[in-house]
Amino acid sequence: MDLLGTAIFLAIKSLIFIMGMFLGAAYLTLLERKFAGHVQQRPGPLHVGPHGFLQPIADALKVLTKEDLVPDNVDKVLFYLASLMAFVPAIMILAVVPFGEPFTIFGIEIQPYISDLNVGLLLALAFGSISIYGVIFAGWASNSKYPMIGGLRKAAVLIGYEVALGFALAGPIMMAGSFSLREIVEAQQGMWFIIPNILAFVVVVFCVLAETGRTPFDVQEAEAELVGGYVTEYTGMKFGLFPLAEWYIATFVLSAITVILFFGGWQPLPLLGWLPIPEFLWFFIKVFLLFMFFLWVHWTLPRYRVDQITEMAWKVMLPLALANILIVAVWIIIFG
Amino acid sequence: MELNATGFWVFSSLAVLSAIGVVFFRNIIYAVLSLISTLIMVSGLFFTMGAELIGALQILIYAVAIVVFYVLVISTVPEFKGQAFETKYMLISVPVGFLIFLELAFVSLYGAWSSNTGIFTQELIQQVGNTKAVATLLFTKYLFPFEVASLILLVAMIGAIVIGRKDHVIDEEAEK
Repeated sequence: MDLLGTAIFLAIKSLIFIMGMFLGAAYLTLLERKFAGHVQQRPGPLHVGPHGFLQPIADALKVLTKEDLVPDNVDKVLFYLASLMAFVPAIMILAVVPFGEPFTIFGIEIQPYISDLNVGLLLALAFGSISIYGVIFAGWASNSKYPMIGGLRKAAVLIGYEVALGFALAGPIMMAGSFSLREIVEAQQGMWFIIPNILAFVVVVFCVLAETGRTPFDVQEAEAELVGGYVTEYTGMKFGLFPLAEWYIATFVLSAITVILFFGGWQPLPLLGWLPIPEFLWFFIKVFLLFMFFLWVHWTLPRYRVDQITEMAWKVMLPLALANILIVAVWIIIFG
Repeated sequence: MELNATGFWVFSSLAVLSAIGVVFFRNIIYAVLSLISTLIMVSGLFFTMGAELIGALQILIYAVAIVVFYVLVISTVPEFKGQAFETKYMLISVPVGFLIFLELAFVSLYGAWSSNTGIFTQELIQQVGNTKAVATLLFTKYLFPFEVASLILLVAMIGAIVIGRKDHVIDEEAEK
């Protein structure tokens, strides 16, 4: 009975997180479209609901009711599986991201996270990189040259940036002495980890942009060269899952992890601790600011070439991440 | 049933099923897919045994970093000849496979025999966590083998670069 109770409790909790993420992602699409519109001096979605506020619902209905075309010569099993393989790991990262300290309401202790593992950060990295298979298999299963090239480009980009990301994360881990995301936040009571880890933060920003395929790094879909990259043959909701997973859920969750690692998680901004804002809200303010930063980069910069991207991964980002480890080690020796 | 026991049976049966898939799938991409599934299930087994560090590293290194290169190679080779099967290779592959099996069996039996004899007791690991226990052993008792392993990997990497390097080819068509 105990097992059943735990399972049901965890299932309900995960469902709440997943539903919240879905609704959040729907409105992140509206945010992105509005932002992109204003960057390009046009109003963005305007006609569905007041000031385009109901646009995500219309989008969702449209994408769900579209005809689901499957081309003849694709590998059917992998074709279906690939869209799920891109989407599910992105959602699975949520299992290890904490959104605040446990708090009590009406005598019930509520933990705003699904699990607090000792190796939370490693697992987040692992789940984030599993979604690479969705893109590669989507490219292979489509049995068409543009998706294939897109999938291979994505693989080349991800292999380079995963390595740099892994080394960049070592800095905050060394300072906190733990892989647990909650303990990393607790270790930033006095000072945020951005201070000695500034190089690692730069590397992480590049890696998040590369992993989520946002514009300076969107060689895997590159409309001008590859039609639509790995999603060329997809339609309807199978198509919708890819951008939903990469551009919204993955970007949001990775922003949350970056905030936890470098900006003190749910701790208030310096000198503003007296404001009556709950820590939950502080966390979302920071994540929102970082997310907007990624949108800003996405809608302003042109695209790199593939060789420039891989060259930067191995020749700039990896040495920067290693230099950061050295700096943090010296910092720890000097300041304890 | 306990949560751990349930987890063990689910993960191990799925791991065995997908391992069978690796051997018997004719389509090489499906074989790689079942290999990924096997590795993830094995990492689940590590989690049920409380070795969460090894489990996470299993996903990160084996299921992603290594298999992604298999996928890259296989998916770029057109019409991979999975059907080609020559019996003369069995003369060498069967004895070698048997030797590897013996070695693995010896290592796992030996490991089961001499487990819990290190300096870390169960209670201590519960207290300090897996990561610290592994790191402490790795950088004290096993520092020399660790460094030697990294040196061997470095040599292998340099060798791969030397083999993979193209000689400087003058592009005649471009010069015309």
